[in-house]
Amino acid sequence: MDINWGLMASSYGAVFTPSVMLLIAVGVTAGIVIGALPGLTATMGVALLVPLTFGRPPLESLSMLMGIYAGAMYGGAISAILIRTPGTPAAAATVLEGYPMAKRGEAGRAMAMALFASFFGGVVGAVIMTLASPLVSSFALRFGPVEYFGLALFGLSVIISISGRSLIKGFMSAFFGLLICTIGFDPISGFPRYTFGAMEMMEGPPFIPTLIGLFAVSEVFNESLKSGVVKSITAKLDQYLPSWADIKYCFKELCRSSVIGTIVGAIPGAGGDIASFISYGEAKRASKNPELYGKGQIEGLAASECANNSCQGGAMIPLLSLGVPGDAVTAVLLGAFTIQGLQPGPLLYTEHIDIVYQIFASMMVAQFAMQFIGMAGIQLFARVIMVDRSILTPAIFVMAMVGAFAMRSNIFDVYTTLAFGMIGFLMMRYDFPLSPILLALILGPMAEANLRRAMVMSGGEWSILVTSPIAVTMMVLAVVSLFLSIRKHNQVEAKLAEMEEAFEKTIGEQPAGAGA
Amino acid sequence: MKQADLVSGGIGVAIGAYAIWDAQHMPEDVVMKIGPGFFPTILAGGLIIFSLALIFNALRGRSKGSVERLRWSDPGVRKGLFLLVAAALFCAVLKPLGFIPTAIIFMLVMMLVLGNRKPLALTLAPLIVTLGVWAIFEKLLHLNLPAGVLVSILG
Repeated sequence: MDINWGLMASSYGAVFTPSVMLLIAVGVTAGIVIGALPGLTATMGVALLVPLTFGRPPLESLSMLMGIYAGAMYGGAISAILIRTPGTPAAAATVLEGYPMAKRGEAGRAMAMALFASFFGGVVGAVIMTLASPLVSSFALRFGPVEYFGLALFGLSVIISISGRSLIKGFMSAFFGLLICTIGFDPISGFPRYTFGAMEMMEGPPFIPTLIGLFAVSEVFNESLKSGVVKSITAKLDQYLPSWADIKYCFKELCRSSVIGTIVGAIPGAGGDIASFISYGEAKRASKNPELYGKGQIEGLAASECANNSCQGGAMIPLLSLGVPGDAVTAVLLGAFTIQGLQPGPLLYTEHIDIVYQIFASMMVAQFAMQFIGMAGIQLFARVIMVDRSILTPAIFVMAMVGAFAMRSNIFDVYTTLAFGMIGFLMMRYDFPLSPILLALILGPMAEANLRRAMVMSGGEWSILVTSPIAVTMMVLAVVSLFLSIRKHNQVEAKLAEMEEAFEKTIGEQPAGAGA
Repeated sequence: MKQADLVSGGIGVAIGAYAIWDAQHMPEDVVMKIGPGFFPTILAGGLIIFSLALIFNALRGRSKGSVERLRWSDPGVRKGLFLLVAAALFCAVLKPLGFIPTAIIFMLVMMLVLGNRKPLALTLAPLIVTLGVWAIFEKLLHLNLPAGVLVSILG
């Protein structure tokens, strides 16, 4: 599928209207604030604000969500640099270099580079997404039920392999999520499963309330257990753009990390946290001065921040072209698409090509908005970290519950949100990863419905699964990925433990200058 | 973490066993050979296998990570439990009482529970947050929130 440059130009025209620009700006600002607040992730931000898109036209809704996604990915760096606490998991690697820089009195330089690296990564990710998504989708147009079943299996195998520190708990989360999505009518025969006779359960667990519960309400419970001590900021933020010398010094790392971030983002299940740690590790490995890493090396900071924003464009590639989300945030975005009556995947390119191009345009514009709003509000966003948690925590709960209720005006959805909030809190507390549940909720029905459709076509012959070379390739890839991830799990875990040790060492040091 | 792993593993086995038992009562499909119970049975089987693996690991002392025990003496735990009760009450009274009164009372109570003692914040924050959320959903997005006891005023 070739890129339609005329449509691309008109899509940018549609995005450059006051209402859409305003919503992108609102989304970016909300995203930066959410990202800057430790404990509030990009996934939670998008989940919490998806209800604000109810009833809005697709372009306005999706543009705002793109803004939130971009803003939240950068926002995590603010608290990482200023108070040694990553605002989002994706900014964990940023602490390693950002905080030592702030301690040296270079908080302004670190913040300026974090913002610019995020912008650079975001733009590269958006360009790759624009070029790659149509190609992948034109390939995916050949997909039938067997191929989709193979794709779902591959997605599931990758999710399991990269979820969390304990492989067993990752598997348990994935199987639990897959079992949850069997609740309700069977996709082929319509037989009600595990509904306990309740009418509300017939359609299965409602997606938006489930994800608001898992990612927003669970955090509210988590926050309520904390002491609520708010750190104050004393750092001087006197720089809005990195110096030309810093850009030149980090340019190679910016290019490398934006490509790594986009590729990692495109793998179903891998998010910004993994992208930034891999890029940081690669930057350190390739550096002429690896011994300076951990002591405030601006290259490492640029690598981490660049990767977590470029990951955004990468994660959108499988979402738009295959209907398979690249990470937890895009899984939530899938819910927002569904609310708008859009089904991401190859058919989106044939039925709503205008929307696809508008998404490309809005994601690119969101990166520029992030750079400008980030520069203009740098002093304000640094103070957002100090917001009183005793007000914020109940306010998030109220917003979460209202968001869950508003879509169908159904009180059952409010109870579902609370129940999944409790499940999410308990799972996080006992080290069970949450992302596999969310992705299983999407890939599970896709796997089951397509397998059953294939079986209808073949009259119950299992051999249909090996008739398609694409499906066979995907199934083989699923097995290989599973096998490799199990084999390499100890290695990866050792490396992560090493990174975490460095992280703990950095955050364990006494603060001076940046925060008190 | 060992005890937590044993309990989580037990819960996983119980959920899986129930799912398989219930799936046995689902109809067979003679054409496709796989009916509505096929997928849940496979998935429940997977959940049981990995739950047993977690239990086995815990019994061998190979549980990973550590978790702080929840104690009643810990103020954070008491706050968490209070939030749970308040959240359940929020859901129960949301429709009959209405969004505005429910959210104002919830915000005020939770701010006090979370240690806020500033009179100005306690007065203004619940009002501003509640009315702000109400205005966005009702006036901007035209979505209905429960009016409850204020139905005569809000219409």
